[in-house]
Amino acid sequence: MALISFKKFVTKGYFAQLLNSLSGSLQCVPEITDVDGVVLWGQPTEGEPLPITTGEQFWGHVRAPAPHGRIFADLTAHYLQRELDRRILAAEALEKYREITFLYAFSGKIASCLGIREVCQLVIAEAHKLIPSTSAMVMLYQEADHRLEMIASISPSTTPPLSLSPTQGIEGHVFTSGRAEIVNHVSADPRHDSSYPTDYALICAPLKTQDRVMGIIRIGTSEQIHYTAAELKLFTALTAQASAAIENALLHEHKIREERIKSNLERYLSPQVAQTVISATGEISLTTSKRRLTMLFSDIRNFSSHCEELDAEDMVTYLNEYFTHMVSVIFSHRGTVNKFVGDMIVAMFGAPATLPNHEQRAIAAAIDMQRCLAKIPVPWIQQHFLTGIGISTGEVVVGNIGSPQHMDYTAIGDEVNVAARLQGLAKGGQILVSRSVYDAARSNYTFRPYGDIVVKGRKNPVEIYEVIYT
Amino acid sequence: MSKILIVDDEPHIRMLLEQTLEELEDEGVEIFTAENGEEALSAIQEEHPNLVFLDVMMPKMNGFDVCHAVKRELRLPEIFIIMLTAKGQEFDRVRGEEVGADIYMTKPFDPDEILDKAYEILNIPH
Repeated sequence: MALISFKKFVTKGYFAQLLNSLSGSLQCVPEITDVDGVVLWGQPTEGEPLPITTGEQFWGHVRAPAPHGRIFADLTAHYLQRELDRRILAAEALEKYREITFLYAFSGKIASCLGIREVCQLVIAEAHKLIPSTSAMVMLYQEADHRLEMIASISPSTTPPLSLSPTQGIEGHVFTSGRAEIVNHVSADPRHDSSYPTDYALICAPLKTQDRVMGIIRIGTSEQIHYTAAELKLFTALTAQASAAIENALLHEHKIREERIKSNLERYLSPQVAQTVISATGEISLTTSKRRLTMLFSDIRNFSSHCEELDAEDMVTYLNEYFTHMVSVIFSHRGTVNKFVGDMIVAMFGAPATLPNHEQRAIAAAIDMQRCLAKIPVPWIQQHFLTGIGISTGEVVVGNIGSPQHMDYTAIGDEVNVAARLQGLAKGGQILVSRSVYDAARSNYTFRPYGDIVVKGRKNPVEIYEVIYT
Repeated sequence: MSKILIVDDEPHIRMLLEQTLEELEDEGVEIFTAENGEEALSAIQEEHPNLVFLDVMMPKMNGFDVCHAVKRELRLPEIFIIMLTAKGQEFDRVRGEEVGADIYMTKPFDPDEILDKAYEILNIPH
């Protein structure tokens, strides 16, 4: 398509006006014809036909008596050139404007996408619209298997989802170098992996955040065209926005996953501990290990006889009320609820997050449990529930223990048995602790000796102390 | 033969719109431009265009006044008027309706949308 219609240029607008006034003042009406000799302006007249040219292009002839013919020919060529220049600039400006509006609209569209696949699909669809291409795809790096996996694609043939090592092919190279590239003869590029369909030319750009490369995006064409630096620049602008959106989508997915884990963890752990486990810094681990911690057992005295007095439904209601209060006390002292066995609560202090002064914290929790129980605003509970608590401290094995179908984060070891035994001995309202707990907390709490017990598998009897509290 | 008039006081908008619509010239459409409301009004009376792209915010006579003059005073309802309004500036729909504007579009405009609209309004197969 010619940038200018010569006919329109001569007959309309400012040049036509100029011709009019000039022929008036020179008293000479020239004849202007197009390349086919069709008269566009003026009337048949004397004189030699003079060609009108701009650069290489021939537009037509001017005929007018000398010396005016030359003036009209030069003037026409000059204004034609001006008009051409203006049109070229306008076309370029419009192209840029188109790109800006495109990116503007793109950022609006992409901001409303949350899912990773959705974002990737939109990005390649838009890139495909903007830059001539026959294929497009997004690959993201998967840490788990250390590979680049295809997440979304537009492709003429149904190719299997691609998976590359992060150093394989042009895509791998762009991922590793973090620099966008144009490759105009793909099959001639030594990095090209011939195991998947070849495009004639491609543009590949890294999807980057400030501190890492998340993957790559590439578009390609099977037609014999060459991509230009301007297209690369545009593609890079698109990629920058896509990167931000993909990063957001990744964060969003991560957050959802975290929430799910957290809500599972929060059944056993205080919200703070759950958070620490998720952010997984250093010494917190759910894997099995041997560590020193404090176990707390609490049990309602004569529970089974109370059970007989009540409907099962009422009993469950009271029990749930009781557990809710007790768990919140344990959490507030940063303990972990290990399990409920019937009416018994098993809690630990010092796992999965290490906890300084776990012995004192367990005692503080026990005292608060006793106080809290007396204040639960359900008269029946206040009248009938009395708990005995046993606490012991020492080395135990802690971790996820069980079968693949059912696992518990739990502790096993001698000290666990000791705490269970102490709890069994404790009368309603009493808190009994082992010697190990007493040693660690003697300066913080008041104790009185409560005799010894013999525990199976131990040579020496375990010394017992009662915590005195008001 | 169809005619389109582009009215905007900003030269670059006029140029971009003209360039956007340029391919319509191959269909025999004539494109004119005007730099302000007054110029627009006389061009409309003289050329009687089928379609006018009319900027709202212009010195001398604004787009609403031009539209009102065309549609209500000159009684030329057949002239299709597209008001152009800057994005972020809320278009005064009530005023637009009062003066008889047909539709409005926002700047920065989407060239493809503008072109599609022009084809549609001038009833030229695209």
